[in-house]
Amino acid sequence: MPGGYVGKIGIIDLTDGSIRIEETCEVLGKKYLGGKGYALALLYEYAKELEEKGKALSDLDPLGPDNAIVFATGPATGVPGFPSPGRYHVMALRSPLTGSIGSANSGGEWGPFLKFAGFDMLFIKGAADSPVYISVVDGCIEICDASDYWGKNVFDTDDLLKKEVCGKNVSVACIGPAGENLVPMANIVNDKHRAAGRTGLGAVMGSKFLKAIVVSGSGSVPVANMEKFREASREALEKERKNSVTAEGLPTYGTAILVNVINNAGMLPFKNWQFGYNPEADKISGETLAKNYLIKRRPCWGCNIACGRVTSVKTGPYQILLTEGPEYESIWALGNSTGVMDMEAVIKANHLCDEFGLDPISTGSTIAAAMELRQRGLIKDEYLHGIDLSFGNAATLVESVWRIAHKDGFGKYMALGSKRLCEIFGAPELSMSVKGLEMPAYDPRGAKGIGLNYATSNRGGCHVTGYTISPEILGLPTKIDPLTIEGKAQWVKAFQDFTCVVNSAVNCLFTTFALGAADYANLLSAVTGWTFTEDEIMRIGERIYNLERLIMSKFGFTDKDDTLPPRLTSEPMPEGPVKGQVVELEQMKKEYYRLRGWVNGIPTPEKLKELEIEL
Amino acid sequence: MQEVLNVEGSNIIFLYYQDIESLCGANMVSVKVLLFAIFREKYGIKETELEFDGTLNGFLKALGEKISPKLVEDIYDQESKHIKSNLIVMVNGRNVKDIKGELKFNNGDTVAIFPPVAGG
Ligand code: SF4
Repeated sequence: MPGGYVGKIGIIDLTDGSIRIEETCEVLGKKYLGGKGYALALLYEYAKELEEKGKALSDLDPLGPDNAIVFATGPATGVPGFPSPGRYHVMALRSPLTGSIGSANSGGEWGPFLKFAGFDMLFIKGAADSPVYISVVDGCIEICDASDYWGKNVFDTDDLLKKEVCGKNVSVACIGPAGENLVPMANIVNDKHRAAGRTGLGAVMGSKFLKAIVVSGSGSVPVANMEKFREASREALEKERKNSVTAEGLPTYGTAILVNVINNAGMLPFKNWQFGYNPEADKISGETLAKNYLIKRRPCWGCNIACGRVTSVKTGPYQILLTEGPEYESIWALGNSTGVMDMEAVIKANHLCDEFGLDPISTGSTIAAAMELRQRGLIKDEYLHGIDLSFGNAATLVESVWRIAHKDGFGKYMALGSKRLCEIFGAPELSMSVKGLEMPAYDPRGAKGIGLNYATSNRGGCHVTGYTISPEILGLPTKIDPLTIEGKAQWVKAFQDFTCVVNSAVNCLFTTFALGAADYANLLSAVTGWTFTEDEIMRIGERIYNLERLIMSKFGFTDKDDTLPPRLTSEPMPEGPVKGQVVELEQMKKEYYRLRGWVNGIPTPEKLKELEIEL
Repeated sequence: MQEVLNVEGSNIIFLYYQDIESLCGANMVSVKVLLFAIFREKYGIKETELEFDGTLNGFLKALGEKISPKLVEDIYDQESKHIKSNLIVMVNGRNVKDIKGELKFNNGDTVAIFPPVAGG
């Protein structure tokens, strides 16, 4: 294999306990890099096998043994000197939350350490009949009994497994009670506080009785052309050092600094998106976090930016002596969306999400949806077992996280996610989700491009599929007007394609505040020894996005699913800086499909051929 | 009033007239200024009110006098005569870079000043 890969993929069948080791394929590497792209290629092949066996993909149970999950690194992961190379990507053929592709990304150390243990990726199918964990140590994969760990929270599981597998560079990715209880918002947590958060991948692990994957190894990642790589790395890191966001903004304040920015732009969703401006948002802002709770920064492996926060609540009912985060998205979902303006309660709720293995975005958003259902009198007292579901109730927030993870009391309704919750209580329009995935912390009535991105994002309501907030609000790489719709389709497509490259390289998306496709072409050419141009890099991204779309279409997804909650398209923002605005989605979508070469939201055979996607 | 003053026929009197007008506040606006992140830390101020003539120059002058001339240096590029391009400065939630034409301030506006920041 060329540089950037350690050359092996572990194929694990948990039903029969078989383990096969395959070589990483050079052809697929060139076409899809690694990470998300390569995982999709593997899942597509696997989906075809299922179809050949007469299994209809539209009937595939996301929590059944036929679902498959891939833990994937890319040629950037674990390469010292590659900008922010400490991440990995997880893909599942089908998400239990959305019914679409499952996809999430995480930082920490696990990704690089998987490579140091000798593997680029792990492909896992089937289901064990009792709890297991997978140990990947210096080129050996074993399926081990996890009965002693089942029922334990994330922190205890991490500590105990690190003791049991005590090699060099040990890292644990595991699920907590939420994943075990098949909560479709369950995430996979590695290194205690970093998570592959979205689309319920923790429940996919739980359905396979897979508690954890422990990696450890002393290997390293080869680089094809070290001299060229040193030069490319030096240039890229220099750009990061000169960029005020990657050099100052993110290191100093982390992501939480956006609370005040987005609130001032009038698009920080408040009380389940009923409003876009919260006069009290400063109480839960990045400034407040830095002033009162921050202990130090913590980077993912090999990252110069170090946006991670180590924090502490020293006293009071929500005391936690050491935790990490919360990030901007978690603060918004658990705090602003629920109307809870108590930073300590938000930190506690975020900590509990890590402890129990829950996605804070979907969790907070679902609690907020329940609060609006209650506000409208749609949840009767008898369901609540005494919980006060009023907006702003800090104790309810903290208690609800526990109840969701354990499906306890009203928690068993909230554990379904906001879409199913709101359907059950008769107001599906109150679920602020796309394709069943709760949207993140930017109301697109204040930035139209991000609305188009949410609607067309393959995994559902997601900002990091195509983060057009960067040009629309932050002015990076250049400032565009957030309130116009002209040109937004082009921006969304470009951002979605480029993000696929980053998630397949796999390194951190935050590098793209300073680096573009040309930088990635240089870096990846030097690492792998292949020659990528800027255009080829973007074409790889487009190929990946189209392949993902193709797989989704087999589950029945079409343009009808590329939509937004009616609140955003037909209820004008009631007050604040973007008062009166709605998202003119259909106009943008038309242009977007034209640029994509899709009909009815699905890539045409000609488009697939053009992108060399083999059917 | 101008006519009455013009009867006196002198520039001095004309200046006096302008002074009276500013004292009366006829062209003055009052604007709320919010500082965030490093600016809040550096200048120890979260929020203040400025009174000036509604122009960018007036805003900068008032900002320098009320908070610090250093803050003006931090946010304004003397060469290009624009707010520094890497900052996020919003007037009533609208980024100044999205405001077409000359930047003017109205009574009751809120100006939010952020350093270069991002997140996800
Ligand atoms: S920028 Fe932040 S999230 Fe990205 S790799 Fe670095 S520390 Fe991790």
